[in-house]
Amino acid sequence: MSAIQLALTIFGIMLLLMAVRVPIAVCMFVAGAVGYVAQAGWGPFSSFLNSQAFARFASYDLSVIPLFILMGHFATQGGISKALFGFAASVMGRFKGGLAMGAVLACAAFGAICGSSVATAATITNVAYDEMRKHGYSGRLTTGTLAAGGTLGILIPPSVPLVIYAILTEQNIAKLFAAAMVPGIIAMLGYMVAIGVYVRLVPGHAPEHDQVSKLNILESIKGIGPIAAIFLIVFGGIYGGFFTPTEGAAVGAFSTFIAALLKREMNWDKFKKCFYATAESSAMIFLIFLGADLMNASLALTQVPSQLAQLVGSWGLSPVMVVAAIMLFYVVLGAVMDELSMILLTIPIFFPMIMGLDFGMSKEYTAIWFGIMVLMTVGFGMLAPPVGLNVYVVNSMTKGRKGLADVPISESYKGVMPFLITDTIRTIVLLLFPAISLYFVQYLQ
Amino acid sequence: MKLLENLAKFCAVLAGVLLTFITLMTCISIVGRETIGKTISGDFELSGVAAGAAIALFMPWCQFKRGNIMVDFFTAKASETTQNNLERFGAFLLAAVMALVTWRTVLGGLNAYSSNSGTMLLGFPEYAVYCAMVPPLALTALIALHQGVFGFAEDNVEANPEFAV
Repeated sequence: MSAIQLALTIFGIMLLLMAVRVPIAVCMFVAGAVGYVAQAGWGPFSSFLNSQAFARFASYDLSVIPLFILMGHFATQGGISKALFGFAASVMGRFKGGLAMGAVLACAAFGAICGSSVATAATITNVAYDEMRKHGYSGRLTTGTLAAGGTLGILIPPSVPLVIYAILTEQNIAKLFAAAMVPGIIAMLGYMVAIGVYVRLVPGHAPEHDQVSKLNILESIKGIGPIAAIFLIVFGGIYGGFFTPTEGAAVGAFSTFIAALLKREMNWDKFKKCFYATAESSAMIFLIFLGADLMNASLALTQVPSQLAQLVGSWGLSPVMVVAAIMLFYVVLGAVMDELSMILLTIPIFFPMIMGLDFGMSKEYTAIWFGIMVLMTVGFGMLAPPVGLNVYVVNSMTKGRKGLADVPISESYKGVMPFLITDTIRTIVLLLFPAISLYFVQYLQ
Repeated sequence: MKLLENLAKFCAVLAGVLLTFITLMTCISIVGRETIGKTISGDFELSGVAAGAAIALFMPWCQFKRGNIMVDFFTAKASETTQNNLERFGAFLLAAVMALVTWRTVLGGLNAYSSNSGTMLLGFPEYAVYCAMVPPLALTALIALHQGVFGFAEDNVEANPEFAV
């Protein structure tokens, strides 16, 4: 069997298993194991496996992932989101569609201490959904806004997908976070503009005027204070050179924990909830890590990925076109597959390809900018039909609410369309102008 | 299943406490470094090994809650029974993979024990981490096997993506 045939067989096994509802991590693991054994034999495979779980799990560098996840769940259970939404709503209340814009602002602020898009969407949905519907916002706009706002959880640092990209490509997490700042803020503003345009073009989805109470200064501080403090401690510490991003994750989790304690919202049951939730997200990611390791090791043995990188390099295509093609591929693949698994599987193949092209900037800048582009496609994939995870989660959370009609999932997908348009525009702009992403990075050493 | 559920919960809480311990230790270490110029030596090594144990301890609960994400796209229109049967097949496969990983991790642990390998600064014995990882990995295999044979728990009929990232 030629190398290409072998690589295709490995992929075929993986896709076949995926099609029949086998967990993605297991699909990768089995396909990778078959490919590994077929090429190197049982002996090398089994000794590879002896230390693989240990090497992947007991890694200081990777401990940043469960820590950021734990931080997000402390924030979710800590009761800081309700006051935050009240604050955001009163800031944006003067505009038409202000409550929806407030929800976006709340998501963005929450995203500054939470690195997960689903957790952000779920947290803000909990505090904003009933309020928005009672004020006369349609189910379509409400669920669309909350699902889209949730992606700010990963677009604004900290961001778990970005951390995973940094680990896979051995890039500096602090620099990648810095690169995500401006695109994250653009994303937030883009979503607000999308709401403003939508409520004017398509009447009947938002009330003419929002009845939002004005907050005094004390209430405002209560709303935004804890999050601002945690954000300043974590990112001030990282960029002030006091600690590394991995330490920053620990500091962030600890300070969120303290903030939750001060709110007097935490009890042992809520603690356990945080731990269970962290368990599910972290275990899922690390099992995919394990599967993707095997898959990539066995693909590397076929040498197809490096040949592919050379081949693409020899075509002399415009580098930006190659990135655009990869992103289109991600959009298609993301339609059927979970975005994180997709990154873990494909970055080891695509990254060397990208690094072999000349974008007219340093290797490091290229790697950082490509990371931001990958992040944009992940955000897009969380919203785009047929399986936008955020849309699905927000929609299922709003079922059976007292006094409110359920929103059909098709309505929710219609609701995210305006946001997908701004996502697309933003992604194209960032693709054509890397300087936007690299603006803050140039000041970091 | 109740027993397996409780064991999985216990593991997850234990791992959560371990992680919280990492955060506390890191904070103390940083404060020490920035004020009196002293850190907890080898703090990052301890973080690494504690995270290793924690990740393994998280696995059983994730599998119990069917948190390991799968692709719904191709079989979304299939009947509930078909979907359920396919997912039980998936649980079987996961059990097999986990059993394999558990077995090899036992061997890896024995290797680490006989070669006396430890972390660089503190010499924290690696086999201890292997020892902490094996039981939860085995438990994960057992839970998946139970799901494959007897089906999924009543209150857990739908796979839940709420905890995806």
